[in-house]
Amino acid sequence: MKQPNAADFSPPTVASPEPPTAPKRDRAQTDPDRWVDEHGDCLFRYALVRVRRREVAEDLVQETLLAAIRSREKFAGQSSERSWLTGILKHKISDYFRKLGRETSFTDLESLADEFSEKFVPEGYWVHVKGPKEWKPESDEVVHRAEFWQTMRHCLDKLPERIANVFMLREMDEVESKEICSMLSISESNLWVMLHRARMALRECLEINWFNREK
Amino acid sequence: MATNTEDSNPRPPDDTSAIQPTGWLRKMLVWTISGATPKCHDVVRILSEQMDHELPVVMRLKLRLHFLACCWCERYMKQLHCMRETARRFPVHTDEAGGPVLSPEARFRLKHVLNNQ
Repeated sequence: MKQPNAADFSPPTVASPEPPTAPKRDRAQTDPDRWVDEHGDCLFRYALVRVRRREVAEDLVQETLLAAIRSREKFAGQSSERSWLTGILKHKISDYFRKLGRETSFTDLESLADEFSEKFVPEGYWVHVKGPKEWKPESDEVVHRAEFWQTMRHCLDKLPERIANVFMLREMDEVESKEICSMLSISESNLWVMLHRARMALRECLEINWFNREK
Repeated sequence: MATNTEDSNPRPPDDTSAIQPTGWLRKMLVWTISGATPKCHDVVRILSEQMDHELPVVMRLKLRLHFLACCWCERYMKQLHCMRETARRFPVHTDEAGGPVLSPEARFRLKHVLNNQ
């Protein structure tokens, strides 16, 4: 096995806001080895859905746990350890995209083409037989089904990358539109087009693969 | 939404629109609504924008009017909210969503780096 070298695995150095508070535990219980064993896979999976690259996801998990070590003394138990760590990871993901937005163009012009034109007649109305179907069961029920979350991940993975990035910042992290625009250096109208494309494609994928699938 | 293309664009049995183009009076109503409100292709774009910023009152009224004759756009709006709700819950369901996990090498590296802090 390759001998680890901390310098090789150093994460991108970006400023992070104060992590959210977490349960007070003694040092033995907050042992980083246990964090890796109990939460490492979950944090990594979440990071991977967000950034799609294993090495970046691993860096983000490492950075998250390093920040957790630094701030564990300040914690006051209000949430579970998992949600505290996930909260830190979300900050790290925002920092990552902020840095990426400064370095690369985030406007995904290629994905702005109107792929869904076959859903509408030339006059602009739905092709009625291809219009949205009623979704059953309702969202309140599906959240208890593991298969739903697998389908959701599959559909998010299928979205074009930049479009998926902005969609998840907006809908998973609940970042306001204006903040996403300044974070990624894109215009508000471009953001709206990208979000529209993401929602259209995700809706279609969820309908085909979950809500309206052949039972 | 019904238009003069109604014959070539039939409504399926699951059409639940409040006003359907059966009989001349309802046909006239649907035709009037379709003339006074944006086309479905634009409605879906506007509905997405509404998830990110508030629309003018007039546009909100037009959308309500549109939904009376178009169950598909109304469903689309409900589904946008459903996707928002479920996307927000995704982080706590990451384990159920499955996918790749940390490799043994990555796990080893992580522990090594963290324990050397």
